[in-house]
Amino acid sequence: MKMLTCSRLNSYFGNPSKWVAKGVILLFAIGSISAQAQESPAQKQSELIKPLNKRLKSIDLLAQVAETEVSSVTEKPGLVSTAMQWLRSTDRPGDLQFHGFVSQAYITTSDNNVFGNSDNGGSFGLTEAGFNASVRPLPRLQLSAQVLSRRAGEGSSGMPRLDYAIIDYQVYAHEANQFGIRVGRLKNPFGFYNETRDVAFTRPSILLPQSIYFDRTRNLGLSSDSVQLYGDAAIFNWGTFSTQFGVTLPVVDNRDTESSLLGLVRPGSLNREVSYIGRGIFETNDKRLRLGVSGIWLNTSYDPNNKLNDLIGSGALQFTPVFFSAQYNTERWTLTSEYAIRPFHYNNNFGVAEPTARGLNGLDFVGESYYFQGEYRFTPKWEGIVRYDALFTDRSDRDGKDWVAESPTRRSGLAHSRFAKDITVGLRWNVTPQFMLRAEYHYVNGTAWLSGLDNPIDLRTGRPFDTDQHWHLYAIQASYRF
Amino acid sequence: MNLFHFLIQARISSYFLSRARSYFLFAIFVGLLGVKVDVWANDHFEIVINPSVSEVALSANSLRSIFSMSLKTWPDGTKIRVFVLSDDDQLHKAVSKGKLNVFPYQLRSTWDRLVFSGTGQAPVKVNSIEEMLEKVANTPGAIGYLWRANINENVNVLQIK
Repeated sequence: MKMLTCSRLNSYFGNPSKWVAKGVILLFAIGSISAQAQESPAQKQSELIKPLNKRLKSIDLLAQVAETEVSSVTEKPGLVSTAMQWLRSTDRPGDLQFHGFVSQAYITTSDNNVFGNSDNGGSFGLTEAGFNASVRPLPRLQLSAQVLSRRAGEGSSGMPRLDYAIIDYQVYAHEANQFGIRVGRLKNPFGFYNETRDVAFTRPSILLPQSIYFDRTRNLGLSSDSVQLYGDAAIFNWGTFSTQFGVTLPVVDNRDTESSLLGLVRPGSLNREVSYIGRGIFETNDKRLRLGVSGIWLNTSYDPNNKLNDLIGSGALQFTPVFFSAQYNTERWTLTSEYAIRPFHYNNNFGVAEPTARGLNGLDFVGESYYFQGEYRFTPKWEGIVRYDALFTDRSDRDGKDWVAESPTRRSGLAHSRFAKDITVGLRWNVTPQFMLRAEYHYVNGTAWLSGLDNPIDLRTGRPFDTDQHWHLYAIQASYRF
Repeated sequence: MNLFHFLIQARISSYFLSRARSYFLFAIFVGLLGVKVDVWANDHFEIVINPSVSEVALSANSLRSIFSMSLKTWPDGTKIRVFVLSDDDQLHKAVSKGKLNVFPYQLRSTWDRLVFSGTGQAPVKVNSIEEMLEKVANTPGAIGYLWRANINENVNVLQIK
């Protein structure tokens, strides 16, 4: 591409060979920073053909044949893609579409368990697969549903579940302004990544920044039964402001959520109570700058199971996080940062019978999370990522010392369970548009986002059996989509 | 004094004039490299629509909304059906950057967000220019893009304001 640009200048301006030389120097200077992404040889050919088109307008047919050949080069015939061809076929009634993905990761850690027994030789514990269908029976009406299977350590068994099932009606649409309503089980819109967090292709890394996208409370955060209003509005000629607001019933009836919110898996169950969620994202017309703010008002309460001698009472809790998101995109760089402030409020009805539950009563604390992330596209096929991600369970006690001081005998040496600072570097290879491989390394100081199910707590002492403050995580992943 | 100034100015301008062509080329070169606009390519493709669509012109914002899959109906209420080539196709890149003013990877992530959150659909991918021509010509409400050389009477060209 760049060489072609030079030669084109050559032909336009006579004999500026010295400018080509200067240009090449400039090219190396700029190329590494902001120039156009590299082109594959197939596209170079197609560019060569274009000037031909201009000159040989009378021989359109020839050019057409040549271009068709080039375009078809990009589509590789293969067993799987042939098999998938019927899924991509376009001649279906109601614009029926099918999409899906399968991802498998291998994770190994120096200490602590992530998605299975990862610190003992590694594990293939993270498998994600999804399949969705959507149809537009009327121009403004869309129905869609997705089934998701996720096998990830003790928290997710791989049992397929209904991820979303949505009726979407666009009430009003004019140019960039739209307004509509969605009803059903919806993905919770918060931050940049939550709605598609299980689709490896849409994630910047194998593990999303855990400070904000907790995988241990994922079922709670992922989707909920709701009614949602949405709207897009053009803001002058700058860009579009998109908002979503939903009234929801959160999905809290699972072990991971209980263990995270109540410290342990309890005999009783968490109730689904009316909660609210909202998000606004401003995006410039060229999608270079994206700014977002999202908020959740989550309510839930606990129903003790008295037959099983439940030791905690019928308490209620509120979780009201607010997320701020910002992203800047250039051809090669994508810079992303998100910040979350996460207030928890537990009422006084949890009782005092059990030592591990006593702490829940009247608990009131504010967590804080943020990350900075840079993605760099060396070529469209190769991408690198670096990230710093920090989580503080209680932002007034960032090193966990106050928390230990409240109960020194039980908590000594566990201050690291109140924070986690994660440095990540990774590499992604888009082998084809459908198939992707990647690898990443994490150095983590702290254990705050470790799953309590994968790293169990000794019931007699209330302490985790075996966790270490400083640890390393290596992961590789393969993912296919259609 | 004025003469002195004039002489200096004359020297400076002659110095720069002798290099004017160089600077001009340099500027163009930087422009071609750094900015994403493929000026020459813009002249070689058009946004095309099925003849059933009554629109003859569209704003750039509307066009972006259509290819971002958020605007789903034509003003007369009929379905918009969007056809695209593969993300790494040269024509797709030229249209993304030149007409929509976004990078292909941004369109891809927009479509992925819609498809995998259930809030929208992806455009239909065609595998060749020929298929693009055939689909746009035969699908009611269709919109796509073609090199000028490939456009024939079976599709209409949409003007972008």
